Amino acid sequence: MDNCTMDNELQTDNELQMNRVFLIGRDEIPRKVRLDSGDTLSWTLVFLPCAGADVKVDLDVNLCGPGSSLDLAGIYICPTDEKLSLNIKVKHSAEDCSSSQLFKGLAGGCSRAVFDGLILVEHGAQRTKAVQESHSILLSERAVAEVHPQLEIYADDVECSHGATTGFLNEEEEFYMRSRGIPEAEAKRLQTISFLAPVLARLPENLRNEIISKC
Amino acid sequence: MDEFLQKMTERDYKEGFVTEVEQEYVPKGLDENIIRTISAIKGEPGWLLDFRLDAFRKWLTMKEPHWGHLNLPPIDYQDIIYYAAPRKDSDRPKEIDPALMETFDKLGIPLNEREMLAGVAVDAVFDSVSVTTTFRKTLAEKGIIFCSFSEAVREHPDLVRRYLASVVPVGDNFFAALNSAVFSDGSFCYIPKGVKCPMELSSYFRINAAGTGQFERTLIIADEGSQLSYMEGCTAPMRDENQLHAAVVEIIVEKDADVRYSTVQNWYPGDAQGRGGILNLVTKRGICRGEGAHLSWTQVETGSAITWKYPSTILKGDNSSSEFYSVALTNNRQMADTGTKMIHIGRNTRSRIVSKGISAGHSENSYRGLVMVNPGAVGARNRSQCDSLLIGSDCGAHTFPVIRNSCPSSTVEHEATTSKISEDQLFYCRQRGISEEDAVALIVGGYAREVLSRLPMEFAVEARKLLSVSLEGAVG
Repeated sequence: MDNCTMDNELQTDNELQMNRVFLIGRDEIPRKVRLDSGDTLSWTLVFLPCAGADVKVDLDVNLCGPGSSLDLAGIYICPTDEKLSLNIKVKHSAEDCSSSQLFKGLAGGCSRAVFDGLILVEHGAQRTKAVQESHSILLSERAVAEVHPQLEIYADDVECSHGATTGFLNEEEEFYMRSRGIPEAEAKRLQTISFLAPVLARLPENLRNEIISKC
Repeated sequence: MDEFLQKMTERDYKEGFVTEVEQEYVPKGLDENIIRTISAIKGEPGWLLDFRLDAFRKWLTMKEPHWGHLNLPPIDYQDIIYYAAPRKDSDRPKEIDPALMETFDKLGIPLNEREMLAGVAVDAVFDSVSVTTTFRKTLAEKGIIFCSFSEAVREHPDLVRRYLASVVPVGDNFFAALNSAVFSDGSFCYIPKGVKCPMELSSYFRINAAGTGQFERTLIIADEGSQLSYMEGCTAPMRDENQLHAAVVEIIVEKDADVRYSTVQNWYPGDAQGRGGILNLVTKRGICRGEGAHLSWTQVETGSAITWKYPSTILKGDNSSSEFYSVALTNNRQMADTGTKMIHIGRNTRSRIVSKGISAGHSENSYRGLVMVNPGAVGARNRSQCDSLLIGSDCGAHTFPVIRNSCPSSTVEHEATTSKISEDQLFYCRQRGISEEDAVALIVGGYAREVLSRLPMEFAVEARKLLSVSLEGAVG
């Protein structure tokens, strides 16, 4: 499973990597993906701090084969003035497909993080299961987090849900740690890491450590 | 099951009758002369005519909005009669025409105060004019002004002038501009400082004449520390052509005042093939101007061929709060695109959104909403929940929320789910001797309970009935 590395050779490979980590801005992310019967795609998108960046990611996944599944996750860290826009469209065209999406991010400085996610379930795509979650934390007064979690559903036998939150680091948690002698900065760091943990767990160790060291 | 569904979706619209009453109209079409005519019929002061003409000129430069998830049929604005009123008998100008009396009786809105539901004052609007407003004297004793908009213009011009278009500016959107140019009648309500309104106030809107549109304007002002519960209901006859209803509602809530606004919308939804029905294109907005103000919207939307409606709140005062509770039911070929906007400006402002969509038949039902937290809204909090229930495999249920947070000490949460009435749930009820139709009504009632329980009592009963009638035959 070396497909988690950021090897450039992988992009020239025409065959779709079913299990991969993409670094936004460094790796070329396919714009359109088609999943046939029985395919299982598990991708993780990572955006690392990069001052001055203005990036837009468009990803369009179409589950065309019955029984295909998608497992998509993302993490973004925008501490300065990054402008990041994630535009994810998941289209269910066949029966018995499932998709799950989990995005977590931090916005600080005067950065602007936009998550625009659409789940579209076409007529006849019965027994679809689709979940989308997007959570972001605002770290500064001038940062903006914008979320458009959209559902468009034309079939009735489906279980679809989305959840979106934007908020701040919990003060009570911080107080708990500080009352036990953990310094404020370290407490905040721990909180941030635990917030990102569900997506961090999907990353290879070296990348995970890199992100943790930047928190 | 399918057959049962089929049967259940066929429904009767019992408010679909037409009242034969002599009416006077202005000619079809819309230009500055028509607006001058309407203004002259109503005997309006010059400033209001200027307001209308200004709005009309703005409207001419605007484009019809098509961003909704709707199939808005082309509307010929020159083919609409903008003013229709039942002709007043010169013999008895003071009394209400018995035919109109009977119409409202039939709709369950008796205009005779003795027969009225105790504790509800009604302003009844028939096409373009207000027929009567009940309990005005009782209310006047407390200093409350509750009358038709035209009367308010005559009797309280200062109040009207001060607040008109202060929440929904003339050029806010295409339909609000159209309304500002041609609005006919509506309700006006002012609750003075510290007064708790002793009864529910309500408006009842009825479209009767063919080929007309209804453009009512409602203005509600709740002064410091006052309290008000307001209800709105509406019906129209069954016709094969679409009729336009473009209303504007503005609510101003001052410091520590509390306003509850409830709507049960039952305009004619068109037939099973999607012919006819009302195009309900409405702008409703309130502002919590002072500290601790509270505005609550509750809506039950079952009618209209097309619903385009986003009751919104601007939370300007610190610690002010707002709620939006909605049940939108679409059946056959109905389309609804409805939701809310919560704009947090003041510190510690709170808002809560609960939206329950039910779609059946070939209908499309969308929730569209905006939660915006401005940088200064320290400690703001919002929680939204949007659920959709699908009945049948040919309908659509959609959610289009936008969350824009630019305040690091605020919390915004949004959650949405989509599901259907499961065979298991139905089977469970059937097994215990509950008929299929009752079981569906039970499940839908339970699903919508959180919203229905917010309605004033008289309305809750009606809404519950409406939901089960509208759904007659719709589940699978």
